[in-house]
Amino acid sequence: MNRLALKLLLPILLLLAWELLASGSARAPRPSTVVQAAAAMTASGDLPTGLATSLLRVFLGFATASVLAVPLGIVMGSVAVVERNLDPLVESFRPIAAIALLPLIILWLGTGTQAAVAIVAYAAFFPILINTIAGVKRIEPNLMRAAYTMGVGALTRMRVVLLPAALPAILIGMRIGLGVAWTAIIAAELAVGAKAGGQGGIGQMMFVFYAYSVELNGIVVCMVAVGIVALLLDRSLRFALARAVPWSAP
Amino acid sequence: MTRAGAPWEFLRWFGGVLIYCRTMALFLLVWHLAAEAVPNKLLLPSPLAVAQALRESWLDGELTANAGISLLRLLVSVAAAALLAIPLGLAMGRSKTVGDLLEWPVELLRPIAGIAWIPLALFIFGIGQRLPIFIMFYTAFFPLLLGTAAGAQSVDRRLIAAARTMGLSRGTIMRQVVVPAALPSVLVSLRLAVAASWTAVVAAELVGAPSGLGYAIEYYRSMLATPTVMAFIAAIGMLGFLTDRALRWLGDLLAPWARAEGRR
Repeated sequence: MNRLALKLLLPILLLLAWELLASGSARAPRPSTVVQAAAAMTASGDLPTGLATSLLRVFLGFATASVLAVPLGIVMGSVAVVERNLDPLVESFRPIAAIALLPLIILWLGTGTQAAVAIVAYAAFFPILINTIAGVKRIEPNLMRAAYTMGVGALTRMRVVLLPAALPAILIGMRIGLGVAWTAIIAAELAVGAKAGGQGGIGQMMFVFYAYSVELNGIVVCMVAVGIVALLLDRSLRFALARAVPWSAP
Repeated sequence: MTRAGAPWEFLRWFGGVLIYCRTMALFLLVWHLAAEAVPNKLLLPSPLAVAQALRESWLDGELTANAGISLLRLLVSVAAAALLAIPLGLAMGRSKTVGDLLEWPVELLRPIAGIAWIPLALFIFGIGQRLPIFIMFYTAFFPLLLGTAAGAQSVDRRLIAAARTMGLSRGTIMRQVVVPAALPSVLVSLRLAVAASWTAVVAAELVGAPSGLGYAIEYYRSMLATPTVMAFIAAIGMLGFLTDRALRWLGDLLAPWARAEGRR
């Protein structure tokens, strides 16, 4: 009980201080006005539509990244020659943030969904790849040898031994990748901002609130929504991790 | 790295360099051929044009000026974040009360990406220096705080008990036992924080700063100078890579015991 009070103390104090400090100016967002704005934006359907657009882009990009990165990671992790030869490319592109590529991607794909999906896929690709490689390399070699000795074919070996053993690392990579992807989509939509028309997702909504309607309450609502979605995405993958590989759950 | 003979080590290193050059040469060749096949040079300039643009922006000082601004912002904001987050993280990790007190504010704020603060920060700070510094500070703060707290929390209890038995004061225990034991985890989180901040600086400058590498990319995109855009992107990647290497080196220097632990 006492601990709960301690945990609640600062959030409540901060919210109160915010409410009191901001009540002097008419424009400044306050917790009460933010809640009103959130209710209005949910009722009008703007917020759910924006979130759905962004989430759809994230899932498309994330799925693309997973489909590319997991098989490549498995091959790179299990065949040393492939890893040695591809590693320079991976190490050269990994430090380039997805957002830095945004101007190029706008040039190639425009400002619509395609560009957003490409940014997300690039952002999520490297965490998934790196973790898959590491997971495959960490497999106890005796497990693979034992399966080999027992005459298990290469494909079955991969399905029965390699995949389950590497799965925890792959899922951790996906969890990191999904978090990065969500940040990347917000950044991309923000930067595209005014350039794209209509359906721009939550990031563009924020930019429009900033640049055109100067609706600070709306910006704060979007920020909170971004945080909640990030938390839910992370929790759902953590849940998947615990369900799929209970033996490695933290 | 064992001491199994220097020549062998050298050969291995040299082989790695050879493979690196071969892969990158192949990549550049494919890129060049692809650029030849694309009729519109604005869409995909050849690597030669990019190298030329890189050289030009290096020679007229634009690259170094913008990179210097971005790196300075990175340094200032990460240093500020570290000054605040490391003591706070140590307190969180060592004291249950502080940990409980800060848990919810941190857990509530952390999921909101630094980048999502950009519109509000634009409104508060306007376009200029303070916006990217705030965004990077915020981005670097949470990894540092949580990494330090985790490091301070996982200090071997027997070490602290031993220090206490020998009559050391709380402050001395903090300095002599907790900080060195938590240092490896602090250094790892520092690398994460710098990497995240470096991503955030590009986003922040892309939207709301009149200078820096992110601004330069966006500016040259609007001028349709694709080779220069690519040159600046490459510069961002290289600087990100080099800062990470520098931090790794600094980590080995500051906490050689962390390296031994990592290898174990």
